[in-house]
Amino acid sequence: MKRKRAKRFSIEALDDIKDRALEATEYARSLKECQYADLRIGLTEYKTASSENGNAKEVREEESASLGVRVIAGEMAAWGHYGQPLGKLDFKGKALWRVLRHGINSAYERAQANAAKKLSLKDLAPALAPVRLAPVQVCQDVVPAVFEEDPRQVPLKEVLALAVEVTKEMKAVAPEVKFAYVAVLTALTRELFYSTEGAAIDQSHALTQGNMYIVAQKGGAIPETFIDYLGAQRGWEVVKGKNLYNKSLLDLALERTRDTVELSGADFLTSSEKPVVVVTDPHFNALLVHEIIGHPTEADRAIKMETAYAGRSWFLRGLNDSELGKQVASNLLSAFSDPSLEGYGHYKYDAEGVPAKRAILIDKGVLRGFMNGRESAVILNQEPNGSMRATECHYVPLVRMTNTVIATGDRNPEDIIAEVKEGYYVVNHRIPSISESRENFRISAQKVYKIEDGKLVKLYRGGGITSDSRAFFMSIDAVGKDLAIFPIPNCGKGQPMQVMKVGNGGPTLRGMAKLTGEYR
Amino acid sequence: MIKVEQLRDCAEKGLATAKREGAELEVFASWNELITVRLNYTSDIPSSGVQEPKSTQSFGVGVLASFKDKGKLTAGFGSESNDLRPRAVKEAFRRARHCRFFDSDFRSLPTPAGIPTLVNYHDPLVMEARDGDIVELGWKALEGALKAFKERGISKSIIVGGDVCVLKETIAIKSTLGIDDFDESTILTAAITTMVEDKGVKGTGWSTSTHLGQFNPGRAGLEAAESAIRTLGGQRVPSGLYHVVLGRQPVTELVSNIIAPSLSLFAVNASNTPFLGKLGKQVASSNLSIYDDGAILGQIGSKKITCEGLPTGRTDLVTGGLLVGFLANHYLGKKLGGSLITFQPRNGFRLHAMGRRHDAKAEVFPTNMVVEGKEEVSNEELLSGIKEGVYIGRIWYTYPINGLAAGDFTSTIIGDSFLIKDGRLSTPLKPNTLRINSNINHVLNNVLAVSKEKKATLVWAGEEVVMAPEVRVEGVRLDSIGETGA
Repeated sequence: MKRKRAKRFSIEALDDIKDRALEATEYARSLKECQYADLRIGLTEYKTASSENGNAKEVREEESASLGVRVIAGEMAAWGHYGQPLGKLDFKGKALWRVLRHGINSAYERAQANAAKKLSLKDLAPALAPVRLAPVQVCQDVVPAVFEEDPRQVPLKEVLALAVEVTKEMKAVAPEVKFAYVAVLTALTRELFYSTEGAAIDQSHALTQGNMYIVAQKGGAIPETFIDYLGAQRGWEVVKGKNLYNKSLLDLALERTRDTVELSGADFLTSSEKPVVVVTDPHFNALLVHEIIGHPTEADRAIKMETAYAGRSWFLRGLNDSELGKQVASNLLSAFSDPSLEGYGHYKYDAEGVPAKRAILIDKGVLRGFMNGRESAVILNQEPNGSMRATECHYVPLVRMTNTVIATGDRNPEDIIAEVKEGYYVVNHRIPSISESRENFRISAQKVYKIEDGKLVKLYRGGGITSDSRAFFMSIDAVGKDLAIFPIPNCGKGQPMQVMKVGNGGPTLRGMAKLTGEYR
Repeated sequence: MIKVEQLRDCAEKGLATAKREGAELEVFASWNELITVRLNYTSDIPSSGVQEPKSTQSFGVGVLASFKDKGKLTAGFGSESNDLRPRAVKEAFRRARHCRFFDSDFRSLPTPAGIPTLVNYHDPLVMEARDGDIVELGWKALEGALKAFKERGISKSIIVGGDVCVLKETIAIKSTLGIDDFDESTILTAAITTMVEDKGVKGTGWSTSTHLGQFNPGRAGLEAAESAIRTLGGQRVPSGLYHVVLGRQPVTELVSNIIAPSLSLFAVNASNTPFLGKLGKQVASSNLSIYDDGAILGQIGSKKITCEGLPTGRTDLVTGGLLVGFLANHYLGKKLGGSLITFQPRNGFRLHAMGRRHDAKAEVFPTNMVVEGKEEVSNEELLSGIKEGVYIGRIWYTYPINGLAAGDFTSTIIGDSFLIKDGRLSTPLKPNTLRINSNINHVLNNVLAVSKEKKATLVWAGEEVVMAPEVRVEGVRLDSIGETGA
């Protein structure tokens, strides 16, 4: 990566603190009963602008930096964590050492207090156990960001101009466009990871993203809305067309706007009482795999750690009662999570310094594994696969999806539709609602087309599908060869909630589900 | 910890320094700390009980500035983290000037408006609380739940999750237009979920307070366990239209995820609300009123001032079923208001999961949302007269499935729920077997009764608190799910 000279508070500031970070891990190692510690220091430089209806609404050019420290300490080993954003001042002179030491001491004291209490409650709570981490390869590495056009070299004016131009054009598509909004972001992030085990990792990545939000209304009808994203972990070239759509931000925004206008005059879909044949497109399947396969194969959720927040997993009831090795889907369906692929879930090392690797989740319909972290890998008796991530360094890492997808098949998507005598083509995801272990779902689509004799004959709005999860996946009888990985920038998990970017996708699928429509 | 005096000093000196630049300025300085003690106890899987006590904090300064550029009014925002010296304000101002742009909807920086009614409402003991004490609060919640299970002889298949959170917020704000104020708030929450998993039952309990003395996480744990135990032996019901009583958590889910977002000028600005063009019209049962009040003493959504330096207070939204207002910040209030209608900017906050952030601009956030009935009834009266119905105690993933404007929403009933027979709670409902498929306009217009008793209730990741009653609604569509044994 080409790095320019530090001018203000830039990612180059991290060059000067590596020795301090190493010293800090040595200090943590010296603390009594400290069994493990890691620290993460990150810095992002970003430019962002937004616009609605051709008017500028926001322009920012800032940096954000933060520190996170995790410690395992105490006789009954327990976690303690400390996090805080950092400022320019924290990188000057001895300030960083003071901040690191304070962070380690705070996390350590919390871990000690936590461990002591854990030990004292063992009688009331016999399942309490010391924290154990799976052994991993200890890595030292430098991973540069990849981009063609450096986000830091993009003039702020250009970012704003693009946002304004796009919404101006969107608004001009039709008088029915009531609201056209776009936010553009381009950023460069660098993170350091150091642990008492000796890991020393320096990773960077770029990010460029466009968010679009469209509302169209025909006469006094109910407004039609759509929100979508364009993005990649790359430079400014993303908005010019180097992305999964091979379209510029402007072209994609105009396409979405025209769709929304067309939909604003369409009939609402009516719910069906019985399952019908549905063909779901890759964009829709991005949300399907996210909610129904991705989240339930996060190991922390599987072992019930998310019960109070976003629920459990339909794949695992207990350590000795799970779907592992069992058929959970048609043998045409496989799914995996792979951080080595390009997408919003791409990285080389996770937030525990573990080399990332592909996790096979479902192989030919059989459940094979979970995404995990070092702690959950021990509990599930699995190899760690490097799936721990934190939105920013001051947050605790959690098991997160990476690029989590349904694997490609061998069918031509046009043929999958052409074979349907009567059914529905479900296009582009909107909003999910799932049951507590994700054993049932209702997911809405932007567009639903009626299929008759293999042809799309009518467009509906306000539709989607609902099904018990296993029933839907078992019904899959065709898998397309059109796998695409979409940017999902807003996956919420944890407390405090961390909004993570992940890659999700799949090919075209055909199965059976009930239609959902209007309820008025 | 950074004291409010340091923040005020930063705002004052910083404003004096940056004022020389000839722009209108608003300087906002803040310090926040959020300590979260996350619980995870599973009787059949090795676990930590308290998974981790963790914290994150922030402080710094944000500057919103407006300039006169060649006859046009431009505005920009900049911030500087972890620095409160006058040079930090200067640097934030430099960024604001660098990022200034013309927005035809920008009228001015906020101007003073009234005197706050809520003062000295935070708990200094929370500000000073030690780490060990906060860790202890998490373990108390776990103990409360586990003791309740033990008393009932339940030792297997137990899950206890959730968290105890302590949020400390301090801000100071000063502007060239005369705003000069500060605020300190302390928020304590315990939100506990329990399950007896092999019986498929789930219960919740929660405690919220602004003061340590009234905060009882142990009680929240106990309530969570007891509510799970109460629903042992649940049964299914078939799909259909039902008379339902929505408990406090479902009312809060609907308010937080559907109703409050629809009653915000943010949604009006985007033409994406079911209430578009309905101001002054009937949008709900005449028995129903909804308002937001950020100045209720003792409620955790309360603040003395907004993050724009304006007094908090009551904003009526729906009164006797009529739509009478929207939640506003200064910017959207000015943009969408006019001579015929004004929107009081009582909801301009720079909220983030970890408090009132110096590096964010003020957006529209609810505070304490209050749901009331014209004629409120006891919980028993709420049930009386229902021959067959469903009491819904906990739902989740409640989303406007076809966009806010359409009003359609869906949600799964996941616990704390019962069948109603002849005006009384009868058999527990089996969790995760019914999905609500309805429309918010239908629900609001079919509210038949509202309970007197209310409780401050939170949902996961919600910034606001809902003073939630229980509400009886007729004709709600419930669909049977999970029949194929997924």
